[in-house]
Formats: sequence, C-alpha cells, structure tokens
Amino acid sequence: MENKIRDYVEDLFADAPQTKKVYELKEEMVQNLIDKYRDLLAEGMPEDAAYNIAVAGIGDVGELIRSLEVPFRDEGMEVRQRNQSAAMTAIAVIVIILSVLPVLIFESFGMENIGICLMLVMVAAGVGLLIYTAKTKPQYRKKEDTMVEDFKAWQADQGQRKNLLRSISSALWTLTLAAYFVLSFMTGAWHISWVLFLIAAAAEQLLKACFDLRK
Amino acid sequence: MSIAADLIRGHTDAIILAQLIKKDSYGYEINKVIQKKSDGLYELKEATLYTAFRRLEQAGCISSYWGDKNVGARRRYYAITDWGKESYQRLRREWDEAKRLIDLLIEEE
Repeated sequence: MENKIRDYVEDLFADAPQTKKVYELKEEMVQNLIDKYRDLLAEGMPEDAAYNIAVAGIGDVGELIRSLEVPFRDEGMEVRQRNQSAAMTAIAVIVIILSVLPVLIFESFGMENIGICLMLVMVAAGVGLLIYTAKTKPQYRKKEDTMVEDFKAWQADQGQRKNLLRSISSALWTLTLAAYFVLSFMTGAWHISWVLFLIAAAAEQLLKACFDLRK
Repeated sequence: MSIAADLIRGHTDAIILAQLIKKDSYGYEINKVIQKKSDGLYELKEATLYTAFRRLEQAGCISSYWGDKNVGARRRYYAITDWGKESYQRLRREWDEAKRLIDLLIEEE
C-alpha cells in the first residue's frame, strides 16, 4: 500500500519538469503521506480507507508545480534582441568596409588628410559598434537546475567569448587593409607596405593568446 | 465550514510560522497540530501546505533541512529564521487590527 502512495505521487508529478526541487518535493510528500497513512491505520482504519483519506488530502497540486518552475524567459524578446544584434553587426561591418571611400574620394581633390581622418572616424565607430554588440548580446539564462542547462549555459559563455574575439579580429583585418591602401597610395612604397599584413597576423595571434590567458 | 476555510486559507503563512516558532517541524506534524488545535475542524491540503513552504522559503522566512534518522525515513524539516519571526509578528498585528475592524463593522447598531 505504501508503494501505491508512492506511485500516486509519481503520477501527480508526471508532467512536472524533472528537477532536483521536484524530486525533493516528491520525497517529502511521500514521506508525510505514509506517516499519515500509518497514523490512520493505528487508529484502526482499514487499509483501503486509510489510503483514500491520505490521498484525498493532497488537493490540487497545479499551483504547487507552477511555483517550482523558474519563470520562463521571454522567447519573443530574445528573438528581437538577436535580430537587433545581427543588424548592428552588419552595419558595423559596412561602415568599416566603406571607410576607405573617403580616402579615395578626397585624394582625387588633393585633400588626403581629411580623407584619412574620416576613415579613422568611421573605423572607430564600426569597431566600437562591434564590441558593444558582442558585449551586450543576451546571455543564455538557465531555465532549470539541471546538468543539461548548466552545459548550455557553459556553451553560451564559450560562444560569447568566441564572438567577441571574432568581431575584434574582423575589425583588425579590415583596418589593416585600409591602412595598407592608404599608406601605399600616399607613400608609393608598394614594395614594402605589404609587411602590414604580417604585423596584423602577429597582432591577431597575440590577441588570441591574451584571450586564452584571461580565461 | 467552507467559507471559514477560505478565510483561514488567507492566513496559512501565519499559521505555519506560529508552529515553527515553537520548534522545527515537518509537513505532516504541522498539519497534525493544526488539526488537533482546531478540534478536527480544519486541516490544510497537502498542496496548500507545500506551496506555502516554498513561498515562505523563497521569502527567507523559513529554511529547510533533511533530518537524518538512522532508522526509517528521512524527513524534511523546516526552521523559522529571524526574518520569519519578524514577519510573524507583523502578520499577527495585521490580523489583530483586521479582527478589531471587522468586529466593529459588522456590529449591529
């Protein structure tokens, strides 16, 4: 009969999420119900009647189960945030790519300095936007207290680090390309200016090393 | 009885806290005391009781621990916190005030 009580409680929570909290609650409930059942038996009640009274005293567990669930995250909100961050990244990349334009345009008027200033402003704006987007991207919030959720959260954390590194390194390469053209056009030193790419590659590796160290 | 039960249900938290001030206790024991005190007229549904436990625990009014019994079952015990004692006093004052007011308001002229 005591196993019947256990089965009854298991049934009640069949649809509840399988978290530690729910497991503990079931244990607690089964134990208290068995206590009650034994007391009723001790009062001379037949087994069937004692079981029925114990089980009837449970009541509606709907609210109880809901109170154990961590509030669900707003899926719609998350999609909106993801779209927003994708748009920001795209804008940032476009701004950085187009930053060479002022140099080319102003050069034809003989005003390289203004062109370079504009380019630097555009690149700075683009890089700033990229870093801001990577930093403010919504973090994965834990829905439940389970191993799977812990793993997902860890994965999300890793992903975010990678994202930041990727955006910095894409900015770095665009910047290098821009600098390569500007310097080469201005100085005409095409024979040596390609060294910039080697420097950029070295800088990227250093950046990666810094990231790994910080972990 | 059912109307009285509804009235009482609104004070589940205070009733549970009052039990825990005396000593740490577990679900069935608390319910048994409630039943005895009310001469068998009132008994909490299990679901109501555990919902109240979770709510009180989240509010920091009580804490729980698993009792370690060498023989038989492991029970989850609840203990009242200092904040829980304060809450109890507050609920108590609120109820006294409400009782006084209702008595005044439903008095026949």
